[in-house]
Amino acid sequence: MPVLNFTVNGVPRTVHLEEGRVMLSSVLRDSLGLTGTKVGCGTGQCGSCTVVLNGRAVTSCTTPAEKCEGADVLTIEALAEGGVLHPIQQAFVDAGAIQCGFCTPGLIMRLYALLTVNPDATDDILAEEINKHLCRCTGYEAILAAARLARERMKK
Amino acid sequence: MTLQHVGKSVPRVDAVKKATGEACFVADITLPRMLRAKVVRAGIPHGKILSIDTSAAEAMPGVKKVVTGQGCSMLFGTCLWDQPPLAVDKVRHAGEAVAVVLAETENQAEAAAKAVKAEYEKLPFVLDPVEAAAPGAPLIHEKNGSYRRVEYSVHPVPGTNIFHHYKLRKGESEKGFADADVTVEGEFEFPISSQAPIEPHGAICRFSADGSMEIWASNQAPFVLRDVLADMFTIPASKVRVHIPYLGGGFGGKSDVSIEPLVAYAASFVPGYAVKLVLTRKEVFTSALVGRGMKGRMKIGAKKDGTFTALKAEMYFADGAYGDTGWPVDTVAGHNCTGPYEFPHVTVDVYGTYTNSPIVGAYRGYGHPEGQLMSGRLIDRLARKLGMTPGEIMRKNFLSEGRQNALGQVIKKSHGDLPGCLAAVEKALDETPLPKNDDRFLYGRGIASMMKSPKMAANAASTCTVQVNADGSAFVNLSGIEMGQGVQTVFAQMAAEALQIPMEKVKSYPDVDTQFSPWEWQTVASMQTYRGGRAIQDACGQIIDIARETAAKVWNCSPSLVAYRNGECVHPNTGETLSLGRLARGFMAPDGLTIGAPLGATGWYRVPGIVEPDPETGMGNAAGSWTFGSQGCTLRVDRQTGEVKILHFASAFDVGKAVNPATARGQVTGGVVQGMGAALMEKILFTDDGVAKNVNFPAYKIPRLKDAPEKQTVVLLETPNPEGPWSAKPMAEHPIVAVAPVILNALRDATGVEFTTLPVTPDIILEALGAKEAR
Ligand code: FES
Ligand code: FES
Repeated sequence: MPVLNFTVNGVPRTVHLEEGRVMLSSVLRDSLGLTGTKVGCGTGQCGSCTVVLNGRAVTSCTTPAEKCEGADVLTIEALAEGGVLHPIQQAFVDAGAIQCGFCTPGLIMRLYALLTVNPDATDDILAEEINKHLCRCTGYEAILAAARLARERMKK
Repeated sequence: MTLQHVGKSVPRVDAVKKATGEACFVADITLPRMLRAKVVRAGIPHGKILSIDTSAAEAMPGVKKVVTGQGCSMLFGTCLWDQPPLAVDKVRHAGEAVAVVLAETENQAEAAAKAVKAEYEKLPFVLDPVEAAAPGAPLIHEKNGSYRRVEYSVHPVPGTNIFHHYKLRKGESEKGFADADVTVEGEFEFPISSQAPIEPHGAICRFSADGSMEIWASNQAPFVLRDVLADMFTIPASKVRVHIPYLGGGFGGKSDVSIEPLVAYAASFVPGYAVKLVLTRKEVFTSALVGRGMKGRMKIGAKKDGTFTALKAEMYFADGAYGDTGWPVDTVAGHNCTGPYEFPHVTVDVYGTYTNSPIVGAYRGYGHPEGQLMSGRLIDRLARKLGMTPGEIMRKNFLSEGRQNALGQVIKKSHGDLPGCLAAVEKALDETPLPKNDDRFLYGRGIASMMKSPKMAANAASTCTVQVNADGSAFVNLSGIEMGQGVQTVFAQMAAEALQIPMEKVKSYPDVDTQFSPWEWQTVASMQTYRGGRAIQDACGQIIDIARETAAKVWNCSPSLVAYRNGECVHPNTGETLSLGRLARGFMAPDGLTIGAPLGATGWYRVPGIVEPDPETGMGNAAGSWTFGSQGCTLRVDRQTGEVKILHFASAFDVGKAVNPATARGQVTGGVVQGMGAALMEKILFTDDGVAKNVNFPAYKIPRLKDAPEKQTVVLLETPNPEGPWSAKPMAEHPIVAVAPVILNALRDATGVEFTTLPVTPDIILEALGAKEAR
């Protein structure tokens, strides 16, 4: 059985991979029990499975596990360690950007990758990033508002 | 008393858990001894099964069992029992299950599924509902008409593919058309589309050696599911336990039953093991439930002054391979195709047909968008024919106090203020003048009004249990499923209001468990705030009565003299108080002697007087609530690319009372974008061989942020409505109902082209513009 060594949410992990095609999303969800990462399409289209890999937002459903050797992965579970919401999470709550919540962790992780590197991201950049995700519930209005609110709060 | 909680935009009670990834959906659940299932699908739309060879698959690593339909005699349903859990002797659509592989891991199950070999004798197939209903069409169910069914409701035509014919006859439409000065008519199409919740359907089922079973499912209808499974396996309902975690969107596509009978059937072969199936996105398109699929025509007659005289409509639904989830949608499409207007004479025929396509079920709006696409478009056309504005025609004919809908029900003032909704939309749109056309863009504006009156089982009810704890906090439980619409939040708001206690003290549990949760018909028809709210009022009222009785015993006075305020009983003379917490387990004196009943109660509400429509006229008291609204938009068409941008979309609904204005707005903004997808982007396409082909994102396009309207205006009117809890009415599906006619009316305004078939894609627009120029 192939073995994967990588760091997840700051903790070094060793995972034995099943033979065949194994994606990062299933390592996180099935092997490590990190079910906050959601799978909505499995083909890189909906963004629900987005995690931060070496500082960049990726769709974990299309990221082969073996490509993650030595990588540093952050999932939604890392953001509220200790029970205090990250400003992006709090902004989603406050702006009413959450309905069913299935798209939420992926969106938050993509905005995390963006705003931690580029706190001055313009509205256009925010829209560009959110546009990589599908949400069937909200009509996106409140998600864009949450992203703006998060940007504002993270500058303080 | 001023309201403390109802009417406030309090934050959602489930938001934090969803922001942290803690909220549990069915795919997140792992049980001990759990097998993973992978389904082998037919791949052809219609054929006789000649053989299924599972031997190679069974020998593969990790495989525990391969289940086929061989020897299965079960048919499941709620009103029409026409579907086996997986194909038995023939396959009726390409996404139908023919075998299920159970293995230790998903990869093993997937590999083994590829090794299952099925052979078929192909049969001619039919996808189009009009063709399916015509004589000589390939017969999809030889037994149509002899399946067990609820005879009062489901009306099949044996020997054809028509498994349900709903007819509505109000007055004499021939006479109405003879009285008309002008008529308009047209043919319309609302194609098969996917509800496309971002969470795919999933279920985990486990049979026990003691004959009981448990299932965890992404399902909006736990008690319906329980009863269907009990009926299917002929075990008492009390031995079936259904658990529902959070749902990642439903939109109707997870109501009634879809994949659960299949998973349960497979699990029944491996008692003691849990069997988990989570659909791929492709399977959500091909093998769960889809929506719409209507082809129809409608004719409207009117006097010169715009007063309607008659309406005649025919609708054909491509309801797919099985009919149990389609027939009630067909009936409702018939009831409501008039839109929110009075027609003295109405003739409607709706045909639910078997077709070799995925199964149609509920989809947000439930038949209303299909029928009201036609009336909404025709009113626009009529207005031009009469030289009036569409608004003038609407105002002449709106359902209002004393007027009669197509079912013969008389409308009351409390049912809503349509002129107010229309005025609000007109005002919002008029704030920005319509830009002038230029070399690049054409601009247009469109408007339509809507109504929705839900279809329910006549005995549909909600129940609510409330239990008060010794610290004065309260559990409030209902079985309304939280699928994004925000029921948990409005439940907590309403219970806090009724008990007059802070919201932090109320906990409404999101997970439903049919063993413990109070009975509920199902979470459909936008009824949870309305019907669930009345059940909460009933239960909380009982709690307060029990508390006052106990307090009266303590104070040795009549309960009627005991006041109740802010979570406390108040002594009639001294002003002394006893809190709910003090009375939670009865009142205990210092020596321990306790009197009075513990504070627990079950409340309920059923919309009163509902009956199934009369089989002959199709009329009767079949609808129990109405919500009215108007919508309109300003849009821009790019002459070069055919792309449409909605600059402003305005919606106004008379919701009686917005229990939570922020979440209510969220329902509207989301519903409008979903409706926009239907109008401009979404349609399941089929290959020449009858197989659905654009069955993933992005081949099937749903709106992204950049597709959404640049601006939305949402106005919520609040006409007092004594039937609703604090006046509230259903409003969650409603924002989708009129979106397509609004957009198509605006496209007509911009381009001069009468579009009647959805979706109106850029290609279609370019072609139409080209054809216009060539003329
Ligand atoms: S699940 Fe990975 S992008 Fe949709
Ligand atoms: S909140 Fe449901 S998909 Fe976005």
